[in-house]
Amino acid sequence: MSTTEDTEFLSPYGAPAPIVRYFGWSMLALIAAFLINNVLIVAYDFPTLKAAFDGSDGKVWVLVAIYVLALLLAGWWINRTPDRALRYEARKISRFNAYLIRACFFAVLFVGLADGVIAFLRVEGLLPQLFSENIARELIRARFIGPIIHMPLVALGFVLALFTRSLGFIWLALMIVVAELLIVISRFVFSYEQGFMGDLVRYWYAALFLFASAYTLLEEGHVRVDVLYAGFNPRRKGRVNAVGSILLGMVTMWAIILIGLGSKQALINSPVANFEITQGGTAGMFIKYQMAAFLAIFAITMLIQFVSYLFEAVADMRDEPGRHEHAAISH
Amino acid sequence: MELLFLAILVLLMAAALGSGFPVAFALPGSAIITIVLAAVSGYLFNGSVDAYFHSGGPQQWLTAGVTNLRGVYWEVERDTLIAIPLFIFMGIMLQRSKIAEDLLVTMARLFGPVPGGLGISVVFVGALLAATTGIVGATVVAMGLISLPAMLRNNYSQPLATGTIAASGTLGQIIPPSIVLIILADQLASAADQASTLRKVLHKEATGEISMPSIFDVTSTSAGEMFLGAFVPGILLVLIYMAYILIFAIIRPKSAPAVHYEGDWDARFWGNVVLTLVPPLALIFLVLGSIISGIATVNQAGAIGAAGALIMAGYRLPEDRPSTYFPALLAIAAMVLIAFSLSAYNMNVKAIMVNGGDPTGIYLGIIATVMLLISLLWSGIRVLNIGNTLREVMIETSKTTSLVFIILLGAAMLTAAFRAFGGEDLVREFLNSLPGGFWTQFIIVMAVIFVLGFFLDFIEIAVVVVPIVAPILMSDPQANITAVWLGVMIGLNIQTSFLTPPFGFALFYLRGVAPAIVKTVQIYKGVIAFIILQLVALAIVGYYPPLVNYLPNRVSLLGVTAPPPRNPKMQVCLEEYVRDKVAVDGSTIRAAIATAQGLDLSALPKRLASDLSGAFDSADKALPALDEIFQAEAAVNAAAPEYRPFWQTVRNLQKDMRKLEEQAENLRKTIRFLRNAEDTTRRDALEVRVAKLEAQRDAVEATIPAEWEDQHTTFTTLVNAEDKARNIYRRAADDAVEAPMEFLAVIDANEAFFALEAELTALEQVIATGEPAAAEEAVNNLANQFGSVEGAGDIRSALSKVRRSMRASSLDRVQAAEDYADAVQSFGEQVIWRRAAEGEIRAGVRAYMEALSDTIGSRQQTRLTREQALDIAACSASHRDISLNF
Repeated sequence: MSTTEDTEFLSPYGAPAPIVRYFGWSMLALIAAFLINNVLIVAYDFPTLKAAFDGSDGKVWVLVAIYVLALLLAGWWINRTPDRALRYEARKISRFNAYLIRACFFAVLFVGLADGVIAFLRVEGLLPQLFSENIARELIRARFIGPIIHMPLVALGFVLALFTRSLGFIWLALMIVVAELLIVISRFVFSYEQGFMGDLVRYWYAALFLFASAYTLLEEGHVRVDVLYAGFNPRRKGRVNAVGSILLGMVTMWAIILIGLGSKQALINSPVANFEITQGGTAGMFIKYQMAAFLAIFAITMLIQFVSYLFEAVADMRDEPGRHEHAAISH
Repeated sequence: MELLFLAILVLLMAAALGSGFPVAFALPGSAIITIVLAAVSGYLFNGSVDAYFHSGGPQQWLTAGVTNLRGVYWEVERDTLIAIPLFIFMGIMLQRSKIAEDLLVTMARLFGPVPGGLGISVVFVGALLAATTGIVGATVVAMGLISLPAMLRNNYSQPLATGTIAASGTLGQIIPPSIVLIILADQLASAADQASTLRKVLHKEATGEISMPSIFDVTSTSAGEMFLGAFVPGILLVLIYMAYILIFAIIRPKSAPAVHYEGDWDARFWGNVVLTLVPPLALIFLVLGSIISGIATVNQAGAIGAAGALIMAGYRLPEDRPSTYFPALLAIAAMVLIAFSLSAYNMNVKAIMVNGGDPTGIYLGIIATVMLLISLLWSGIRVLNIGNTLREVMIETSKTTSLVFIILLGAAMLTAAFRAFGGEDLVREFLNSLPGGFWTQFIIVMAVIFVLGFFLDFIEIAVVVVPIVAPILMSDPQANITAVWLGVMIGLNIQTSFLTPPFGFALFYLRGVAPAIVKTVQIYKGVIAFIILQLVALAIVGYYPPLVNYLPNRVSLLGVTAPPPRNPKMQVCLEEYVRDKVAVDGSTIRAAIATAQGLDLSALPKRLASDLSGAFDSADKALPALDEIFQAEAAVNAAAPEYRPFWQTVRNLQKDMRKLEEQAENLRKTIRFLRNAEDTTRRDALEVRVAKLEAQRDAVEATIPAEWEDQHTTFTTLVNAEDKARNIYRRAADDAVEAPMEFLAVIDANEAFFALEAELTALEQVIATGEPAAAEEAVNNLANQFGSVEGAGDIRSALSKVRRSMRASSLDRVQAAEDYADAVQSFGEQVIWRRAAEGEIRAGVRAYMEALSDTIGSRQQTRLTREQALDIAACSASHRDISLNF
């Protein structure tokens, strides 16, 4: 996921590891299928999977078919590339994840700036002076701003991320400093403070630590209790990380995804579907629903990163060449 | 059964943490696995997924966990956490700009000639770095690389040198701005809510009253308060370290010799000292100063600090060139310009845009802002270009922020699982079953935290242990501790976790950079003394809570948003203040009251005169009422020692009874569901158990001493008498000044009142002949003007009547003229008594008010005077035992 193109130095071929690869790829396939199905459930009124058991709605079989297809695809891929090296694949997955996070960063950057400006104009009552009456009226409705303004910016972010190579999200650290500093200046120098300014800081700050988590895992930044771990040899460390990735990491992420996206009224689905805004109403930014989605982005990117991490860990267990060495993070 | 799963949860967590998998996922992972395990076995063995939960079911607790986890950034109340990335950014930026190195070298020269001087300089620099960067690892590494070789070269004993460095490096954890304190404040704020609920339940059970008076409530805290609270203990710790090194050096001069600097103590040297010391001190002053003075929130101070650090890095990183200091100087110029325009002009941009006014200030402000932004941008570009520092700082900030917050998220999940299996109740019952009350509980908790510190990092302790134990400790009415004090105590305690071998972080970093001749054992030996000093500081702060509580109180009472003097929470202290004041100049006050009573009020209208003389009489009564408060209080205090043992025994017995009753009630509920014929045997068995529990409860009840009723009634009577005395005094004190205040307001409005005479006279013509609509308008206008003059209400209402009669729809000029005459007449009367009151009476009442305002009148001020605020801050800094009210 770092900018160094280490995949180029790694051989794509290595000892076959069909079981762990199938497990990892099926996780990726399942999360993709889950997200497709979630869109079907939330936007197109498909029933949840429960209907498969009581047979109340025939459309549920579409969902089931998507899951089965996903699992078959994963199997087909393993079959087609039997001798793909684990580390090579781990870094490919990691790079895809980096793209995802970069795209989300650009989306958050654009939406934050655009919505901040709109919120300022809205709070100061400048909308009617700049836009036609119709648009000005629409710009105080979250249901207009969400799909018409935010979504194209998000799409732009995903496109732009294809053509850049940087990490992206690290700039959020500077952006929250600047956004908070603007509050300081406008408050202390001009006695001017509005709710949307705080919203912008909160929006970027949440994005910062949620998006940074996958990279932190890759760079071994997450704190360990290394009372015993520090003394383990690399193979043993690999075993701890492999088992931990599955039992602790992936379990946590699946729990967040299933609880947050489990039904139409679930914790993440419901605010996103309604374009929920802050209590401040029109005085704030209209991005609260995206902050709900951040949690899903966090869980998904972490799940993908754990698949990559699992492959690396199993490679460590098998003592395959090309191991990462990391310095401990300082407090 | 849920206890089994609680044990599984704890074991799984211990195993997951011990395995070395990242904490942030070990905590939620083991929580989720346990919840799923409990649900599955519940379904298999008991037919219901909910069976093995303390309450609720798996779905509910997982949702609660994810909701808690989202709450970290979703809830506006937890906004202080935003300060964490800002302070991390500031710390890492300063670390990269090598301020630690500069300070160490210069301070070592400055302090060198003192015995133990090198050690003292390390502590001093450690304190300065703690107040700026606060990063333990970086500080220890810098000191280990620069100061340790210097100390060893000069024959410092190895344990002293290494211990000093490791301990000074950890100061960043307690000296604000510190990440630990922010996290603790966040955790304690929600713990305080829970503690408040617990205490309300306790109050209801003990007294039977539904609502608890707010003075008995638990005091919550915020990050700003935590910073203020930790300030004095932090300095105390620094002083203890320094004193230890100094004493050590004096007793064994060979182990810590004075070191003389070889260069000259010339202007160049002093210039260097100033140049290295001033910028970090200025930054500390800006960041902590803006928090302490209550101007900025912690988040805003964090942004100021981050920007300041960027500017400092902007001149420290490049090679020395004439232009090196330009951005910094530009920023300083911008700040001066802002300060000037703020003091010279109205800068409220909204007010100027709406109301108009002189916009010069705004223009100056814009110029200054642009200058500041240019300076920041300039520094930013430099820092980005020189060694890609900015990028590295951003990466480190992102990683560190993420590692802190993902643990916070994970712990939220764990806390939910811990509650799901009744862990919280279990801990509470354990702590409450300990003999010796609050202090035993407290010492046990602190010992557990201390021991956990050997294995865990500060974040884990703060987010896992604090939410479980803090509500229990804070709800105790006997100790009645403040959240700030608890937070600072825990903070001081967690700080030792960095020092305790074998896994203290500070030791780990020091080992990494110390030369090979330093044995690890020597490092361990060195920190022992400092761990003991740390415990001494802990004991001092524990024994003397005002060290923590005073500063936050002082700032809040002196601040712009200080609570008004009538705030119920400060009445007890305010009354003590008034008592002390009256004890000193009681005679002056009495004389002033007597003089006021002697005033000739006959010129005033009856009602006003009687209000005033009533007020003077109230003042006369307030003084003895004040004495009665303290007599009543003394009576309560005298009775308390005898009553307390009874109270303690009986409350414990009652607690047992409630527990038995609760169990019986649960069984009764179950019995009610067992209505079917096949359940008879089970029902009978349960009924036997209920009967047994009831018998047990009655047996406990029988052991309540016979004298309890009497004792309790006697004591409650005394307490009620005190309450009554306080209420009598407060009412008398309020009455003593309310009427005179109103009177003065009325007389002060005299000029405005007289000025309306011409308009009132002119109105006669208008009413008689004017066009109705215009006349109505004019009358209404004047009525409003009278309405805004104090004491002219009757004229306004007379004019309002006139207006009604002037309405075009119901025009009645005769009636209007009549009412107008009334208005003129009462105006005339008022002019007479207003003039009469202007002289002697006004002076007399004013003198009376002045004599009383600091004492009896203090409740009616709009805000506390400085002297009062300081006195009350000191008085309320001690923890007040309120247990006997429960």
